[in-house]
Amino acid sequence: MSTSPPSAHRLHLQFFARLREEAGCSALELETCAPTPAALYEELQRTRGLRVPRGVIRVAVNARYATMETPLRGGDTVVFIPPVAGG
Amino acid sequence: MFALSDQPIDAAAWRAKLASPDAGASVVFEGRVRNHHGGRAVLRLEYEAFGELAVREGEDIVTETEKLYPGSRVHCVHRTGRLEVGEIAVWIGVEAPHRQTAYAASRHVIEELKRSLPVWKKEHFEGADPEWVNCPAEQADSPAVADEFHARQVALPEIGVAGQEKLAISRVLVVGIGGLGCPAALYLTGAGIGHLTLVDDGHVERSNLARQILFTEAETGAPKVLAAAARLRRRNPAVQITPLDVAFGAGNARTLVAGQDVVIDGTDNFAARFLIHDACMALGVPLVQAAVHRFEGTLDVFRRGEGGCLHCHWSGHGAVDLEATASCEAGAVFAPAVGVLGVMQAAEAIKQIVGRGGEAAHQTRLIDLLDGTSQIIERPARPGCPACSRTEAAPLMIGADDSPYFAGSAIAPAGVSPLAIRLIQEGELLAPANDMIDVPAHDLARLRELAAAGPIMLRCRNGVRSSALARLLRAEGLDNVYAWESVV
Repeated sequence: MSTSPPSAHRLHLQFFARLREEAGCSALELETCAPTPAALYEELQRTRGLRVPRGVIRVAVNARYATMETPLRGGDTVVFIPPVAGG
Repeated sequence: MFALSDQPIDAAAWRAKLASPDAGASVVFEGRVRNHHGGRAVLRLEYEAFGELAVREGEDIVTETEKLYPGSRVHCVHRTGRLEVGEIAVWIGVEAPHRQTAYAASRHVIEELKRSLPVWKKEHFEGADPEWVNCPAEQADSPAVADEFHARQVALPEIGVAGQEKLAISRVLVVGIGGLGCPAALYLTGAGIGHLTLVDDGHVERSNLARQILFTEAETGAPKVLAAAARLRRRNPAVQITPLDVAFGAGNARTLVAGQDVVIDGTDNFAARFLIHDACMALGVPLVQAAVHRFEGTLDVFRRGEGGCLHCHWSGHGAVDLEATASCEAGAVFAPAVGVLGVMQAAEAIKQIVGRGGEAAHQTRLIDLLDGTSQIIERPARPGCPACSRTEAAPLMIGADDSPYFAGSAIAPAGVSPLAIRLIQEGELLAPANDMIDVPAHDLARLRELAAAGPIMLRCRNGVRSSALARLLRAEGLDNVYAWESVV
């Protein structure tokens, strides 16, 4: 892991289900320094009032499941996945 | 095939796809909107999907199911949008040669959809606000402990809340999903460990079923790790399961072992056992090893710097025993013996994680199910053991980077040109190679003789046997034996 300070990058965010309602929108362009989805989610909890607990969230980066520690790059599309309920 | 649909599902049209003349069984599952949930009247549902990922994930589930249940063909469609009571939310049709396969595959698809398809459902109730299903607003303080699933285990003072929390964040690797690995994984999953990684490149065979208790006839022919993961997830969905359909070898040993809290060795041959042991000792990861022969089993916990290591016992005569006990694949085995030993491995792993390992790392336990006895033998480090006493300056294997035990890639140092030796197993027929000489893998005397004459480099089919034999010979003091990690 790099220890240099993270630089800002621009990300595309999409929200579904409960997170969409909490975020108040279904998509968002965001300039952020968050290096990983974990850091990004914490930021969104602070700034957008997301209440779904971090421990039950999964993430997809560019429409593939990823880990909360995946390094994010400018232009990535990030979708936080609240607990699913298909079927 | 998998599809998402925002229109009502035409079950008859989908059913018409299940018409293959070679299918002796077809199973249709329809998930429907019911009119109640949690004692409240449900008026309707809304399904929302992350379309791009949902389609990809749905297709992956279908593909994995067809692989897991050989002979099955799966069709699946999931609704999105507003649904009224009685409407079909998900339709799964499976056809297969036999009923076991069709039922099992159908069940697998719905469980996997529920686990990972990015689809959400909002219930609209009579006289109350609508709610997203499964999605809590706030998190319980410690779900791992609060869950009644683990209540009886948390009630043990030796485990308690603190122990359960340790288990919930622990990572365990199980190598070999056979007679030992199946019960070990089952009890580890029940105990609520955080992350379980399963490594095995084998497929389920009929001769496995009597003692490899995660598998049924329906999975015959399927990759073992996939079949095991499906069963284990159903048993405790809170445990993250990573199935890896690969062989444990010199090339991936370090990567697989790194970051684990405990490794369970459930393999059936000495070559793999040495490799796993050396990787664990190199990285300081506790290892729980068991071996079964007929009615008897041995159990060892190895921790770096505590008690004797594997080389303390096998150095000098290991290779002969190695070949004698090379594999129990065709051997006779009493199923309860692997069951008992596998469960004991799970118990030792849990104890290591919660800090109740006791003296296990200094002992070998012998269990004999024929005469019903068990015995504890002290296992001290042997003074002068070539592995234990080696230092970083004089590693056991050439190429070892940070350990007296392990070499990631056993490359001969510059200026040394070892004689290449191809290890041949009994019955193995290989095209002659003019740059290598062939020696039977069990012919230890010949290998010693060649090593005494000059540096030798051992090669074999997947690198496990060659590196194990190189370790054993080097442990005897034959310092110019090298191993080649990859395929000849």
